[in-house]
Amino acid sequence: MAKQKKIEQYITPAGKVVSGPPHLNAPKSPYEPFHFVNGIIFILVCLIILVPIWKILVDSLDLTTGSGMRLFPAKFGFDGYVSIFSDKSLLQPLGISFLTTISGTFLGLLLSTIGAYVLIQWDMPGRTLLGNILMFTMIFSGGTIPTYIVLNNLHLVNTIWVVILMPAINVYNLVLMRNFFEGIPASLFESANLDGCTPWQTFYKIALPLSKAALASIGLMFAVAYWNDYTNYRLYASDRNLYNLQMKLRDMIASSDQPSAVGGATENTIKNAVIITAILPFMILYPFLQKYFVKGINIGAVKE
Amino acid sequence: MQKQAKVINNKKPLGPRIRKYWQFYLLFIPVLAFVIIFHYLPMYGIVYGFTEYKVGMTPKFVGLDQFRKLFGIVASDASEATKMLAARKSQPFWLAFQNTIVFSVIKLLLNTGFAVIISIFLNEMISTKFKKVTQTIIYLPHFMSWVVTASVFTLLLAVGQSGLVNNLRRSVGLEAVNFLAEPGQWKIWYYIINVWRETGWQTIIFMATLTSIDPGLYEAAAMDGAGRWKKMQYVTFPALGNTIITVLILNLAKIMNLFESVFVLQNDAVRNATNVLQTLVYYEAFNSGAVPDLGYSVAIGLFRSIVGLVLMLICNYASKKVRGRGIM
Repeated sequence: MAKQKKIEQYITPAGKVVSGPPHLNAPKSPYEPFHFVNGIIFILVCLIILVPIWKILVDSLDLTTGSGMRLFPAKFGFDGYVSIFSDKSLLQPLGISFLTTISGTFLGLLLSTIGAYVLIQWDMPGRTLLGNILMFTMIFSGGTIPTYIVLNNLHLVNTIWVVILMPAINVYNLVLMRNFFEGIPASLFESANLDGCTPWQTFYKIALPLSKAALASIGLMFAVAYWNDYTNYRLYASDRNLYNLQMKLRDMIASSDQPSAVGGATENTIKNAVIITAILPFMILYPFLQKYFVKGINIGAVKE
Repeated sequence: MQKQAKVINNKKPLGPRIRKYWQFYLLFIPVLAFVIIFHYLPMYGIVYGFTEYKVGMTPKFVGLDQFRKLFGIVASDASEATKMLAARKSQPFWLAFQNTIVFSVIKLLLNTGFAVIISIFLNEMISTKFKKVTQTIIYLPHFMSWVVTASVFTLLLAVGQSGLVNNLRRSVGLEAVNFLAEPGQWKIWYYIINVWRETGWQTIIFMATLTSIDPGLYEAAAMDGAGRWKKMQYVTFPALGNTIITVLILNLAKIMNLFESVFVLQNDAVRNATNVLQTLVYYEAFNSGAVPDLGYSVAIGLFRSIVGLVLMLICNYASKKVRGRGIM
C-alpha cells in the first residue's frame, strides 16, 4: 500500500474532520490576496535576517578588498580560511573555544542534573533551604568587581579554570532540569529504591536515561553559552594566551590586531572568515537540532 | 482534615530522615561549593564598596564616601549641595544609570512589539513548510554571539568600500556616514541590531500561545460575521494579552544586567555618551588610565545590584498578581 503522508487533523465543533487549523481551512481559497501579501512580507523578513550573514559569507570567500553587495565572490578562494588554520594566533583561540565548550558543557550538565536530582527529594530535610540558597543568586549578585577580587584571591584570574568552572553553575538551567525531573513518575524512583539501588544508581540508571530530550536541550544551551562566552573572558581571563575565538574576533574588529595572511587573502577576507568560523559549528548543527534548541525555552515557559 | 494531620504525624523524626538522605547531601556538595565560590563569596565582597581600595594597597574604610561621590553629594554646605545636584545630570554615573534604563526599556518594547506582530501574521500562514522555514531563519541570529553580531554590523556599517549600507547611500548620491561613531546614530543602530537579533527568538513564546487558541473561537467569530481582521483583532490579539504582560514582567526584572550588547558595540568615539552601569564599572576598574579605585567601582556595582533586586521583587509581586505565580 502506498505510504500515506500524515496530515495534522482537527475536528471542528460541528464534527467535521479537516486538515490544518479550521480558521485557516474554511471555505476560502488559499490564493486570496492576503496570503500573497503575507508571503511577500515574510520573504522580506527572512531577507533582512539573511542578507547580512550572506554578505559576510561571500566576503569571506572573496579575495578582493571588499565591495558593497555581491551575490557571489568576485575572486573566489578559500585563502581566508587557510590563513586561520596556518596562523597560530588564530588556531589557538579556536582550540580554546572547543576545549572550554566541550569540558564546560559536560561539567555544566553534571552539576545541573545532580543539583536537580537532589532538589526533587520531597522528603529530604532542608530541601527548601538548599533550593532557596540557589534561587537567591538569581536575584542578587555581588557584581563584577567583588567577583574579580575573590577570584584573584583564589588565584583563578587569568587561568583557563575560571572560564570553564564559572559558567558551569547555572541556576536557571538547574531549575529547568528540576522541572523536567519532576515530571518523571515518583513510583519509578521508589521501585528502584526498593530494588536496592543507591541514590547514585537511581540517578544514572533511571533519571538520566528518561531525560534525554531535556539533557539535549540544556546541553545545547550550555554549549552555546560556552562557545559564545565573551564577558567572562573579558573580565576575568583577558590574557592573550587564553583568548577564545570571540575575544580574538573582537580584537580584530575593534583594533588593528591583524593576523598574517596567506595567499591572496586580504585583511577583509580574514575578518569575514573568522566571523563565519565563529558561527559555523552551530549553523551546521542548528537545522538538525532546532527542536532541542526551541524546547529549552518551552520547558521554561510551561513551568518556571 | 483528620487524615492530613495523621499523614504529618506519620513523618519520621528529623534525625533518621537526615540519616536516610546522607548520600543526597553528599551529592549536593559540589553544587553548593560552586555556588558559594562564584556567587556567595563575591557577595561578601560588597564590603569593598565602603572602602577606598587602590590596587596594591590595603583597603581603607571610608564609610559612605564612595556613595556620596557616586550621587554627586560631596559638598559640605547646603548651597554647594544644590549646585552639585544641578550638575549631576552630566555625571558619568547618572548618565549611565539613565542609559541602562532607557536602552533596556526601549529595546524591550521594540522587541516585544515586533515579535507580537510577526507572530500574529506567521500564525495566519497556510503553508506549513514555508512557516517552518521562516521560523528556522528568524531564530537563527539568536545563536550568534554578541561579538559576532557586533562584528557583522561593524563591517556592514563601515565607511569604507566594503560597508554595505554606506555603499547603498553612495549609490543614491548620499554621503557616507560613520554610523557607530556618532551617539545619536549609534543608539538607533543599537535598537535595530537588537531587533534583528532577538525578535525572532521572542516569537517562540507567542507562537506557543497562538497555537493553543481554541479553534472554536474563530468559528464562533466567523458565524458572527467577523472577517480576517476582526478575528485577529478580537480573538488572536486578546489571547496574547497575558503572554505579553508576562514577557514584559520577566524581562523588566532583568534590565539592570545590560552589559555585553552595549560593550561590544561601543568604540572610543561614543563611549562616554553610551555607557551603561555595567560598562562604566568595567572602564572605571580596568581601563581608567590612573590607578583605579576599586571601591568606587564596587559601589556602582552594589547600587546596580540593589536596584536590580528591588525590580526583581516588584516584578515577582506583579507576576503573582497577573498570572498567579511568581517569577522565581
